[in-house]
Amino acid sequence: MSHPAPASPPAAPTPRGHYRAEPLWVPWLCLAPFILTTVVFLAWPLLQSVLLAFKQTYGPRNAVWVGLENFTFLFRDPLFWKAVGNTALFALGSVFVQLPLSLGLAMLLNRPGLRGRAVFRLVFFAPSLVGLVFVGLLFSLMFAPRTGLVNTVLHGVFPAFDPEFPWLEVYIMPALILAALWLYVGFNMVYFLAALQNVPEELLEAASLDGAGPWQRFRHVVLPEIIPIASFVVLMSLLGSLQLFELPFVLLNGGGGPDNRGLTVVMYLYQTGFITGDLGYASAIGWVLALGMAMFAFAQKRFIRRHEEN
Amino acid sequence: MSLFARLRQVYTLTTPAVWILAALGLIAAAVVFSRPASRPEGLVFWLFSRSHQEAYQPVLKKWNAARPTPASTVTDLLLDGGALERRLLSGFMSGTPVADLVELERGMAGRAFSGPVEDIGFVDLTERLREEGLMDTINAPSFGPWTSRGRIFGLPHDVHPVLLAYRSDIVEAAGIDLSTVETWDDFFRLMRPLMTDENGDGRPDRYILNFWATNGDVLEAMVLQAGGGFFDDHDRLALDTEINARVVATLATWTGGPGRISVDAPEFSAPGNTLRLRGVVLASIMPDWLAGVWKMDLPELAGKVKLMPLPAWEKGGRRTSVQGGTMLGISRRSADPEAAWEFAKRLYLDRETHAKFFASTTIIPPVRSSWDHPVFARPDPYFGGQPVGTMFIEQAAHVPRRASSPYNALARSRLNDVLLALVARVNREQITDPEVLLPETRRLLSEAQTAVQTLIHRNVFLRTEAP
Repeated sequence: MSHPAPASPPAAPTPRGHYRAEPLWVPWLCLAPFILTTVVFLAWPLLQSVLLAFKQTYGPRNAVWVGLENFTFLFRDPLFWKAVGNTALFALGSVFVQLPLSLGLAMLLNRPGLRGRAVFRLVFFAPSLVGLVFVGLLFSLMFAPRTGLVNTVLHGVFPAFDPEFPWLEVYIMPALILAALWLYVGFNMVYFLAALQNVPEELLEAASLDGAGPWQRFRHVVLPEIIPIASFVVLMSLLGSLQLFELPFVLLNGGGGPDNRGLTVVMYLYQTGFITGDLGYASAIGWVLALGMAMFAFAQKRFIRRHEEN
Repeated sequence: MSLFARLRQVYTLTTPAVWILAALGLIAAAVVFSRPASRPEGLVFWLFSRSHQEAYQPVLKKWNAARPTPASTVTDLLLDGGALERRLLSGFMSGTPVADLVELERGMAGRAFSGPVEDIGFVDLTERLREEGLMDTINAPSFGPWTSRGRIFGLPHDVHPVLLAYRSDIVEAAGIDLSTVETWDDFFRLMRPLMTDENGDGRPDRYILNFWATNGDVLEAMVLQAGGGFFDDHDRLALDTEINARVVATLATWTGGPGRISVDAPEFSAPGNTLRLRGVVLASIMPDWLAGVWKMDLPELAGKVKLMPLPAWEKGGRRTSVQGGTMLGISRRSADPEAAWEFAKRLYLDRETHAKFFASTTIIPPVRSSWDHPVFARPDPYFGGQPVGTMFIEQAAHVPRRASSPYNALARSRLNDVLLALVARVNREQITDPEVLLPETRRLLSEAQTAVQTLIHRNVFLRTEAP
């Protein structure tokens, strides 16, 4: 019979009769780097940006408290709402075009017996490695009038097609969605593929034995199993769309494009803060955007909780 | 338990790597904080252009050699334009280190002038310029972009008059004589026969002018040439003027519909250069600095291009415009603003530097006394042996005045939007007559005026100082 290891001796009683564990400063000492970094680089700037949203500034020495003026102006600023509309359109494009395509590709790659799965996965995933700025430059060259690949090919195949068709003036948002599609379809496909590979095989077999067809298996077996991952991908796509900046910035040479049809909320924030120099208004835009994003995240969390409860 | 034992206990809770990192961090911090903030002795000079830096070296060396102590020598530092702007604005607004002398491009200057006039970080040069007679020596319109609320904050580096460059090889081969051209109408009438469809695809293979509705720089130059602009002489927003309306309506018919004569061949881009080399675009708006860029970027066009004054909007009208600009400012925090001012004058008013700079960049100086230097009259083989310097100088006195408002870029962008809306209508309804567009143009300009004015009015710093 083995003896239990001897317990460590009890801590000595304090003069008041209480047992003292560790000195209070030890955990604080260990936490100090984190707390210091968080306060200096996160909490303090956040607090400052909240205050900034209620001011107009020209450097720290020239700040005028304007109360809610930045927010009231924002809600009647047509350019802000145009940016919101454009961003929402892009987000819808991302969710309703990009994600179904990603899921479709993932299902194709998840077919049993498919040869060269790793190669396909790499090919589809590769565009997401090149970065948004590169994609922006690439697509701006592709869509260039007369010399761009798209117009050259279309004019070559259909001579009646105008070789100077200005895609980036007429179809800004579709061009942006297309560029994002090329970039992110493979990236999201990897999430879906991982989720699909975790769908229990026996459930699918049982459904088949019960006479379920491919659509019914997808609808009643696959979809419920991948919902947590799918909702996460939807959330990430939505948040990414709301923060869209680099792609239109490069594709449209730093502007919002004709009639600001490519202006996104973050681009407007940048233009307001760093081109016009109105940092207070830019901060107000940033906080409204942050609140919007928090609402989406909250809604996703509730959706997942409800799904799990069911 | 003793303190040592406690510390030892804490130590055992972590890995040695943590403590090594912490020790390295502490040592690094100690080294950084123990060193006094070093700053080169004498004056520091920030600039954003390598060609400027190279041209200034002889003056800089001579200046430094003539200083007995390093206290008034000058150290130059080349920065990327964006980095220079950020560091400058941070310096002005937050007190971070900033150079004594800063060369600034027009697009950046507006932002430096957006605060209260007494807080602009540059030394107000107005009185100095007056007292030393420099207001008369320097070409007057060159002060415009560096003037805010009546005060001048920079010594102008250039004039940047605009001429028209055209493909002389193609034009002369077609037997077209452009020497009689006075107006844009004359120019297009003579050039239109060159807009032929040789490959039979139903579209012209050549277009007369490099202009597009999205090209804000050229749009601004065209509007200024006509006597319009975005701000009036008192820096008040003036987008919805009749001149602007007429110019924008006319430009819309140049850019779209059956009367289209322009093509989009952006500068500094491979697609744009390809169109220029292929002869798809026959004429381009050409500020003096762009002439130098073409010589470097498009050597294949040497001898195939010539310059002429811009055709006027109406007979007897202005034959030039203006595009771009650079100034030299002195920081108000400079340890020795007097030495900085002396250096600025030495650098920007030096006749030989002007000549050398022109030879390498084709940029003419704003100092009128330098204009008779022989280098400006020298024939330029790239432009068919024309005396390019003289041609730009002849137009220098006529360049339009420009404002320095921080809202200039915004106003320009709104004017672009108006033009784009008009081009869409021109394409839709196949309009060729600008008069048809005028009512809508006036309405759109009025809306643009209101939108920009609303934003300007929000700026409490400018609001209180409005004239």
